[in-house]
Amino acid sequence: MSASSLRSFEYLEGLPGTTFNRLYKQPSTALAIFRRMLPHLAKSFVMALLYISHPMPVTDLEAWVRPDGRRERDNAVNLLERLHILAAATNPGKPRAYALTNPFAASLRLALTGGGNHHSFGVPYSTSEEDTMSIADLDEFARRQWEGVLGYMVGSTGMNVASEGVTLSQGVKILLASGRLVEARGKTVDITKDGFAFILQEVNAQVWTMLILYLQNAESLNMDEVDVLAFLFMLGSLELGLPYSKANLTQTQANMLEDLGDFGIVYQASPDSSYFYPTRLATTLTSDAGGLRSSSFASPADNNRGFIVIETNYRVYAYTSSNLQIAILQLFARLITRYPNMVAGKVTRESIRRAVSMGITSDQIISYLTTHAHPQMAKNQPVLPPTVVDQIRLWQLEGDRMKATVGFLFKDFNSQAEFQAPCRYAEEIGVLVWKHEGQRKFFVTRHEQVAAYLRNKSGKGG
Amino acid sequence: MNAVDGSDHYNKTSDEPPPSLLTIILDTNAHAWALLAPTLPLSAAIANLLVFINAHLAFNNSNKVAIIASHTQRAEFLYPIPSEDDSRQANGSTHNGAQNGLDGDMNMTDGNEANYAATADDANHYRPFRHIQTTLLSAMSKLYKTTSPESLTPTTSIAGALTLALTYINKQSIAFSTTTSSKTNADPLLAPSDPNSIQPATLNPRILILSVSGDLAHQYIPIMNTIFACQRLTIPIDICKIAGDSVFLQQASDATHGTYIALTHPRGLLQYLMLGFLPDQSSRKYLVPPTAVGVDFRAACFCHRKVVDVGFVCSICLSIFCSPPEGAVCLTCGTYLQLGEYGGKPAVVAKRKKKRKKGADE
Repeated sequence: MSASSLRSFEYLEGLPGTTFNRLYKQPSTALAIFRRMLPHLAKSFVMALLYISHPMPVTDLEAWVRPDGRRERDNAVNLLERLHILAAATNPGKPRAYALTNPFAASLRLALTGGGNHHSFGVPYSTSEEDTMSIADLDEFARRQWEGVLGYMVGSTGMNVASEGVTLSQGVKILLASGRLVEARGKTVDITKDGFAFILQEVNAQVWTMLILYLQNAESLNMDEVDVLAFLFMLGSLELGLPYSKANLTQTQANMLEDLGDFGIVYQASPDSSYFYPTRLATTLTSDAGGLRSSSFASPADNNRGFIVIETNYRVYAYTSSNLQIAILQLFARLITRYPNMVAGKVTRESIRRAVSMGITSDQIISYLTTHAHPQMAKNQPVLPPTVVDQIRLWQLEGDRMKATVGFLFKDFNSQAEFQAPCRYAEEIGVLVWKHEGQRKFFVTRHEQVAAYLRNKSGKGG
Repeated sequence: MNAVDGSDHYNKTSDEPPPSLLTIILDTNAHAWALLAPTLPLSAAIANLLVFINAHLAFNNSNKVAIIASHTQRAEFLYPIPSEDDSRQANGSTHNGAQNGLDGDMNMTDGNEANYAATADDANHYRPFRHIQTTLLSAMSKLYKTTSPESLTPTTSIAGALTLALTYINKQSIAFSTTTSSKTNADPLLAPSDPNSIQPATLNPRILILSVSGDLAHQYIPIMNTIFACQRLTIPIDICKIAGDSVFLQQASDATHGTYIALTHPRGLLQYLMLGFLPDQSSRKYLVPPTAVGVDFRAACFCHRKVVDVGFVCSICLSIFCSPPEGAVCLTCGTYLQLGEYGGKPAVVAKRKKKRKKGADE
C-alpha cells in the first residue's frame, strides 16, 4: 500500500457511518474505493460476495483461504468492516455470516453493469470550439501549476527557485499554512518538517495529501464533505483529454473547480466557462502505483521521468535543468557543479545530517532516489548501490536511537492463560509490538481486532 | 534495526500486485449454445461475462482484457478488435501505430486510447466498461452474421484461439516491460520458467476458456503444444466448462496450475466466474482453489485422433498410435519400429516361485 492511500485511509476511517452511507450512494465512489483503497485479497472477497443472494457463513470464507493466508484474510476482513463495506450478521438459528452492506453493494453493481441515472461518471461536454486542449497542453498546465505550489514551498529555503510566472492564489497559501506544510513568518514563509516530507513524496501521494488537507478545511468553508469526496472520486474516473460539462455539479463542486484549478488538477478556460478538463493529476487519482508508473507525470527537460544517477562513491549526477528538482536535490546532497543539462554533487555525512535535522528521514531520501532513478540505473537490481543505502541509513541512525510507535497497551490480565491467548492472537495478526510475560502487558499498534477478540471470548465464556 | 546487514531490504518489493492480463476464449459454437438455450442462452452468458470482465478491470487500473472467439472453423478477436482502416489508426491508437506500423503488425485499439462519440448516456457508465460492452457486442453480431450455415460443425477451434491468445499475451508483455522499463528481460520467452521467480514488474497473464463443446480430439497435437507453451511461460489456463466434456482441457488446467470447474448449474455462471475465476495469481496464493476431481490424462492417437486408454508409443519421437502403424513405420518421424512378436501370447514366467526359491537357497 503506498503512502498516499494510507493517508486517505486514515482520513476515511475517521468518518462516521452515516457519511459512508451517503458516500456509497454514488457508483463512481464505490468503484474508486474498491479499486484504490482495498488490498488485493479484500477485492476478491467483495467480488465473490457481490452477486451472492445469501450471506456467506464465516466458516465458508475461512475455508476458502489457505491456512498460511490467515493474517491477510483477517486484515482484509477487518479493513472491509472498518470501511463499512462488509458486515457480519448474526441471525438466530443460523451461523454468523458475512454480507456486503447495501448502498455499497448496489452502487458497485450499478458501476459494473452501467445504467441508472446518477451521472456520477461525469457528463461529457461536446465542444465545437477549435480551442480544445490537447493532452500535452493539459500535462503542461498541470505541471506548471503543481511545480508552482512546490516551488512556493521550496523557494522559502532561500534557494531562489524561479516560479515560472505562476501566481498562487491566497486559498492555496492558506491551505499550505493550515496543513502545517509551511509556516508564515511575517512576509516570508518557512517550510516545516512535514513540508519536507511532503516534497519528497511522489506526485500522486502529494496530490492526495493536499486534497485531504482540502477536505479537512472544507468544513470551515461551509462545504459538504460528502459532496467534496464524491467529486474527487468522480474526477478519478474521468477520461484524460475530454471536456466535461459543469451542468450537473452541485454548488459546492462548482466552487471546488476553481480551487482545484489552482493546483493544476482540473483546467478550465475561465471560471465562467461551462465545461472543464481533468488533467492527468485528476485522472490518476484513483489509479494505483502500477498505473502511475506507466503514465507518470513528466518533467519538462526530461520526458523519461528518471534523471538521477548515484554511484557507489556517493557521487550524484542529475540530468535536469529544473530549478525545483535541483532545489529538492540540494536538500540532502552537496551540489558541486552545474552544467546546462546536468548537476553533479555528492551525498556526504554533513548533507544527510543536515537533511535529517530538517526533519527528512533516510527512508524518504532513499525512496526519492529510487523513484527518480535514471533509466540506466533503474535496470540495476537493486536500483541503488547497497553501500549508499546503508550509509544513508547509518548516518541517520547516528542521531536517532529511539523509535516511537503510536499504539495501545493492554495490561491487568488476571491469569497467565488469559494474557497469552490475546497476546498470541495479536502476534498472529501482526499488530504486536512488545510484550512482557512477567508483568502481563503487551503493546499493539491497532486495538480493534484484539478488542473484538477479547469481547468474543468473554461473550463465549459468559 | 538488526536488519541493516540483511540484503533483503535493498529490494523494496511493492505491495501492489502487478496488473494482470486476462485473455478470455469464448467458445462460440452455435450448435452447443443452441442446445444450452433452455438453461443458459448465449445472450445471458455474454451479459454475465461482461459483468465479470468489468469486475476484472475494476480490480486494478492497469488490468487488461482480451476476448477471443473460438468459432466453428476459425478463431477471431472480439476485443480488442483489429483496426479496420487507416483513419482509425491515425486517431485511435497513435503510439501503437507508430510502434507497430513498421513490421506490418496489426493494430489493436484498446479501450483507453479509442476515440468514439461521447454521448450524455456515458455519465451513468464508466467509460472503459462501456467501450468494452459496445465493442464486444458489435463484434459478436458481426461474427454471427458472417457465419454461413454450411460452416457450422459441432467442433470449435480452441487450438487456434489459444495460439492467438499466446501471441497477444506475448505482445502485451513486451509492450508492458518496455513502458515500465525497469526490467531488462523484455522477452518473456527468456524469462525463467520457474514458477517461484515471478518478478514484480511484469504483467500477470492468464487465459480463461469458456467451453461449451465437447470432443476436441482432432486438434490434440496443436492443443497440447499450446498447453506446453503456457506451461513454460507460467500462464495458467482456467477452464470454465459450461457443457460438454473434453479430456484435453482438464489436462490444460492441470498442467498449467489453472482452475477447472465443470458447471453443475450453468444458470449461475456469474457466481462461478466471480468466485472461482476472478482472483488472479497474486490472490490465488492465499486462496484454496476450487477442487478438481480426478484429471483424465488420456491422450489421443496421432493416426485416427481417437482418445485411447492403452496405445502404442514410438520409441524415438513418442508419437502415440491406437494400433501399430502400417508397415511398422512411425507416421511422425519415419523410423522403422521393430514390433517384436506383437500379437503373440506372452510367455508366462513363474516369477514368484523363482523368487521364493532364491530366498530359500540363500
